[in-house]
Amino acid sequence: MRTNLKSFTTLSPFVKRLIFLVVVFAIFAGLNPAFANYASILSIVQGIAFVGIASVFLVLLITAGEFDISIGATAALSALTSAMLVTKQGYSIPIALSISLGAGILVGLINGLVVIYGKVPSFIATIAMLFMCKSLATFISEGKGIADFPDLYEGFKQSLIGQYFSILVFIIFVLVGEFILNRTNFGKVIAAVGSNPEAARTAGINTNRVKLILFMATGCGAALAGFLSLLHFSSAWFTLGSGWELLAIAGLVIGGTSLFGGRGTVTGLFLGLLLMQVVASGMVASSIDPWWQTVITGVIVLVSLSVDMKRKKVKTDAT
Amino acid sequence: MSSLSSTTYALEMIRINKSFGPVIALDDVSLKVKVGTVHGLIGQNGAGKSTLMKILSGIYPDGEFAGEIKVAGENVKMSSPLDAQIRGIAIVPQEITVADSLTVAENILLSEFGISPRIVYSKKKNSQKITEFLTANEIPLNADQLVSELSLHKKQILMIASALYKAPKVLVLDEPTSSLTSDEIENLFSIVRNLRKRGFTTVFITHKLPEILELCDAVSILRDGKTVRTSERSEFDANQLVSDMIGRKLGDLYPAKTELPKNAKVIFSARDLVVENPRKPGEKMVSAFSFDLHAGEILGLGGLVGSGRTEILRALYGDNRVLAGKLELEGKEISSTNIPSAINSGIGYVTEDRKLEGLFFNLEIRSNATASILDKFTRLGVLQKRKEKVVAKEISESLAVKPQDIFEMIGNLSGGNQQKVLIGKGLLAKPVIFMLDEPTKGVDIASKAEIYRIVSDLAKQGVGIILVSSEFPELLALSHRILVFSGGAMIGEMTGDSTKEQDLMMMAIGQS
Repeated sequence: MRTNLKSFTTLSPFVKRLIFLVVVFAIFAGLNPAFANYASILSIVQGIAFVGIASVFLVLLITAGEFDISIGATAALSALTSAMLVTKQGYSIPIALSISLGAGILVGLINGLVVIYGKVPSFIATIAMLFMCKSLATFISEGKGIADFPDLYEGFKQSLIGQYFSILVFIIFVLVGEFILNRTNFGKVIAAVGSNPEAARTAGINTNRVKLILFMATGCGAALAGFLSLLHFSSAWFTLGSGWELLAIAGLVIGGTSLFGGRGTVTGLFLGLLLMQVVASGMVASSIDPWWQTVITGVIVLVSLSVDMKRKKVKTDAT
Repeated sequence: MSSLSSTTYALEMIRINKSFGPVIALDDVSLKVKVGTVHGLIGQNGAGKSTLMKILSGIYPDGEFAGEIKVAGENVKMSSPLDAQIRGIAIVPQEITVADSLTVAENILLSEFGISPRIVYSKKKNSQKITEFLTANEIPLNADQLVSELSLHKKQILMIASALYKAPKVLVLDEPTSSLTSDEIENLFSIVRNLRKRGFTTVFITHKLPEILELCDAVSILRDGKTVRTSERSEFDANQLVSDMIGRKLGDLYPAKTELPKNAKVIFSARDLVVENPRKPGEKMVSAFSFDLHAGEILGLGGLVGSGRTEILRALYGDNRVLAGKLELEGKEISSTNIPSAINSGIGYVTEDRKLEGLFFNLEIRSNATASILDKFTRLGVLQKRKEKVVAKEISESLAVKPQDIFEMIGNLSGGNQQKVLIGKGLLAKPVIFMLDEPTKGVDIASKAEIYRIVSDLAKQGVGIILVSSEFPELLALSHRILVFSGGAMIGEMTGDSTKEQDLMMMAIGQS
């Protein structure tokens, strides 16, 4: 047994989290066997797809040592911009999408410029941006929502790709994000910038440019998430994306990304979001009072965070 | 190496002049470093070493100083630190700057990642490349190890490796041994010697003489912004280096020393004191020693950085463990276990690092001065600001803090005035013995003189003072007696006599 335990601690963090997720899932499946069916799993993954797409580049940004709280509001802004352009102004969907993504990139650019050149801490700057995007989204939609957004083309949602479209995009995003972080030179640069900006700078890296690119990518990802949500539900409300920033941060922390920068994992984010959603859906399925759901989520976040702190402490002690 | 005759010098800095306003920092300084040698650069704090290196590293770009720089015989004008790197100058700074979350190989390759046209990162290929590089240069690092797992010493070696990887023409090591143990220093030396064998040129900056004597083929000595001398290894010895490094007039900087009365009573004594090494819990910093401190006496603790001086002060202040020994304050035995009890029993301590652990930079003078005695102005838990203000005003006036407005934020004060507030904060607790750790670090000369006067006045009032300073002239001029620490032991005692700087230096470096 002891050797088993020992071999567990030497497993990669990803595998450890995966095992934990499977165990939690199995418990809920035990409580209610119907929980383990295909439709319920699909709805769990679908439930995290939009916030997930908005969070992938946020992981990269946090790895580089910066924050973006405005992802949810950016998504709302993008979704309502597209909705208005198509339904009220008669633009075609591709053009509306391009404009929305452009708006997302612009939001990221402004965030980045304010943080880098205005020397405003990113946490504060992006909270301000959150308010601005939110009220802009409300303004664009005239305080109402849109419930009659057309399909991409006739029959798209019924097609095989159409059914799984946002999940597909999410998985591609996760793979791309993880590839950038672990398998590209740029990924190593991101980690270096977040780990020790001074070391990165003396190695000749333009840390400002790295951060700016990531702010813009985060804004773009959030905008795409908003648009896909609009496409998926054929509707959008200005409340879209509310609380995404907290879900994202909780998910990436559970996944093993360090809030201090330097260490990030996108597959970890995937598992973190999945775990929270499994707990949420599982509790509903096992008829546990849903109010407990957020309590459990809070506990999971606290435990993950304290593990992160502990690890950081151990390391600084060692030096 | 195009033509051998013109490149016998890897680096030439010729007639460098640099001034800051009216202050001349470098006065016609020249430094010539031969190819394939280890060239020592020594001088006391403020001698101009760091200014010279800032010029060499491009931090002060061409145009902000007068003079010429040649690298491998070619004239260079550097516009930025990056530019200096491109021209073949690699400086390893004193502070550790590495990316903890990356591996050794990734850290070394970092400068390539920033400019490389290749997108995909191949862990295997990079690790192989760096392993070969490390083996070829006999550098004891594992390419795949995570940097956060490395010791401070290994991180330092990593920084040297990163610098070397850029194949520099001159490698500059800025005080690389300041935080290393003797084994680690030996390890570092063997790396530097290996580099020399392979034809690398190294400039080695230090203020530790034994290192110069052991490692360097030539040495240049800076003093007060001038090159005193450049000597080949066969031409210098410890005695001469010491006198070259010092040799300056002291002037009226120091207040006249008052004789200690013959019958001055002992107010504090330590018997067989053993203090802990805070970096190695359970292990001693300095072997057992004893001393007495008299009322009105200024007792200096002499030694190099790392000789245990600060750890002793902190132990007496309850901020570092006392492993063994007996402490008596005014005839009563005390145990120094935590800071509040030390303050209550009358022990005051002024930290050497006012930025990190001395002052509250987001508060004004008033709150800083009264921080440790707030309970004296508190009734039923409510702070009586009027009383606090009066006390703060008194102390800052008596210490001549400028500006006089006690509501000025501490961050807006000069280093010297910040230091005075810090001293005031300690004094308000009415200490019986007052310990000052590097009280004039980063302080201008005028403030220095004022701080010396404050310390000397305190002693006249009967406070027992323990003083730690790396500036030997100051230590000698202020102290009645000096306990000298070297190599983990108290190796002797001497009287504070300004003419004995050379003796003190020789003792501190373990050469006598």
